[in-house]
Amino acid sequence: MQLSIAITPPLVHFSRQRAAFILLVPLVVGLVVFAIYPAIYLVALSLTKSTLGQPFKSWVWGSNYLWAGGGDGGVFLTSLLRSAVFALTVTGLELVAGTALALLLLKPRRGDSLIRGSILLPLMTPPVLVGTAWKLMLAPAGGLVNGKLQAWGVIDAPISFLGSQPWADISLIVADVWQWTPFIAIMAYAALKQVPGDVVEAARLDGASEGRIFWTILLPLTAPALAAIFVLRLVMAFKTFDLVYILTYGGPGNSTALPNFGIWRLAMRSFDVGLAAAETVLFAVFISLVLLPVLRLHKRFEERT
Amino acid sequence: MAAKSVLIFRRSISAAGLFLVLLFFLLPIAYLGALSFKTRDEVLVGQFFTAHPTLDNWLKTFEFIDLTAFIWHSLLIAGASALLTLVITAPAVYAVAKLGRGGFVGQLTLASYVAPPVVSLLPLFFLMRITGLLNTVPGMIILYGVMNIPVAYWLLRGFVKQIPVELDEAAWTDGAGYIKTFVQINLPLLAPGLVATGLITLILAYNEFLFASVFAQDNAVRGLTVALSIFQGDRIVNFGQMAVASLAGILPVFIIAYAFQGRLIEGMTAGSIR
Repeated sequence: MQLSIAITPPLVHFSRQRAAFILLVPLVVGLVVFAIYPAIYLVALSLTKSTLGQPFKSWVWGSNYLWAGGGDGGVFLTSLLRSAVFALTVTGLELVAGTALALLLLKPRRGDSLIRGSILLPLMTPPVLVGTAWKLMLAPAGGLVNGKLQAWGVIDAPISFLGSQPWADISLIVADVWQWTPFIAIMAYAALKQVPGDVVEAARLDGASEGRIFWTILLPLTAPALAAIFVLRLVMAFKTFDLVYILTYGGPGNSTALPNFGIWRLAMRSFDVGLAAAETVLFAVFISLVLLPVLRLHKRFEERT
Repeated sequence: MAAKSVLIFRRSISAAGLFLVLLFFLLPIAYLGALSFKTRDEVLVGQFFTAHPTLDNWLKTFEFIDLTAFIWHSLLIAGASALLTLVITAPAVYAVAKLGRGGFVGQLTLASYVAPPVVSLLPLFFLMRITGLLNTVPGMIILYGVMNIPVAYWLLRGFVKQIPVELDEAAWTDGAGYIKTFVQINLPLLAPGLVATGLITLILAYNEFLFASVFAQDNAVRGLTVALSIFQGDRIVNFGQMAVASLAGILPVFIIAYAFQGRLIEGMTAGSIR
């Protein structure tokens, strides 16, 4: 490689180094604007008293952090923990359901492309509209779910699914599972397709049951891919905002105000930008802390294969 | 004989399972469809089907809010930003994957995906206000164009790695420059990957809500997701009209998704399966 370059000296072209530099410049600019500048600005902001109209009003150093770290009576710390529980719950449910769905899809049958098209639907639906659809379905008056449950005599009075706990949490989880299980199903489907067919065929000829084939062949071989999918989706689940905004607006009380929503509300509705910045920094640190063991596990999986 | 009936039993279980799953995934959308044909009074009954279908909602919603404009803003911003994402990301992926430079930048790009979007919300708000990009179409295009870089990087890397490096080495040996090799040899081969990645970033931008709710509040920029959230906050919530607005907003992406299913699935899985 190096040799060939030496034999045919470049005439007008750039060196490898310079060509790479030119190709990378736009990305670096984007990274600076979207990642590095915000990170520095945010940390600075978190040390100040700031409003939307007047950022950097005065320096208050650690007091925003003290407030977010427990001075508020643990409201923010609780929402951090809740986000971890939410993210792990939906990601876990979606991984199991998505993998099961992928196994169902694995058998070729008539109408395959129609089925694939249908499970793409939730993915293509903007989360705001997913929220709207579920909100209409779960509405106490005129919602399909309450209507049916009452008609069947399961309940006497309509349930306020979005206004009372634990229903609000459950509703959020159901809507999230609806939206994202297809995503995992498609990725898991692709991973399962990579397993060599003759291995599965040989096991089947030896009389292994479908369940045994899954547990001893398919699952171990696709574990690294599934772990990667898990991490990807977990990161996304931590960012959940739209569903909370539309379905519950953080309520009842503050019980469904996941950090992304709580911080947005603090900055854009209460205008306490300094505190919002401090909470964002703590949130980012918290996500990293949760992800580190998950990433380590993922790495171990990859090394094993 | 017994084995055969067990097999048939199994097949029908898996078919029934698939049917139930599809029902679950289609139900909310189908319910929106059913609602959109109901009169206001009938909506309150909580039945799925209507006895007296009416087109009223469909006619009135477009009068009530400027839905066509909102959808057009969304599509324009999403489409242009997807192009911008590709223009920024594809060369960089080539530099890292084929020229072996800038690996650190690539890592940093992927790492930045982990950061919650609220991280950049406030700094970008102030930046966009100072530069006058707040509430403008170009501002939103740049914002989404940059926002989706990590996802595009992740996906394109999968596609670039499928193009054998020997091809590049042959071109370099023949005296083609590195940039020329990228443009004339890799880009054409990368076309399917670019289409898939572009589609996914387009859909992500079309569906985005958090940034849109802060940076695109003006009616001249407002996209579909923000328009609908406002529609929803309306005192007089009209389920039927909300359903119409939602369906009209979903339609463009559904058409894209159905037309390009193969590409989309290919794109979604490119990153995870190398």
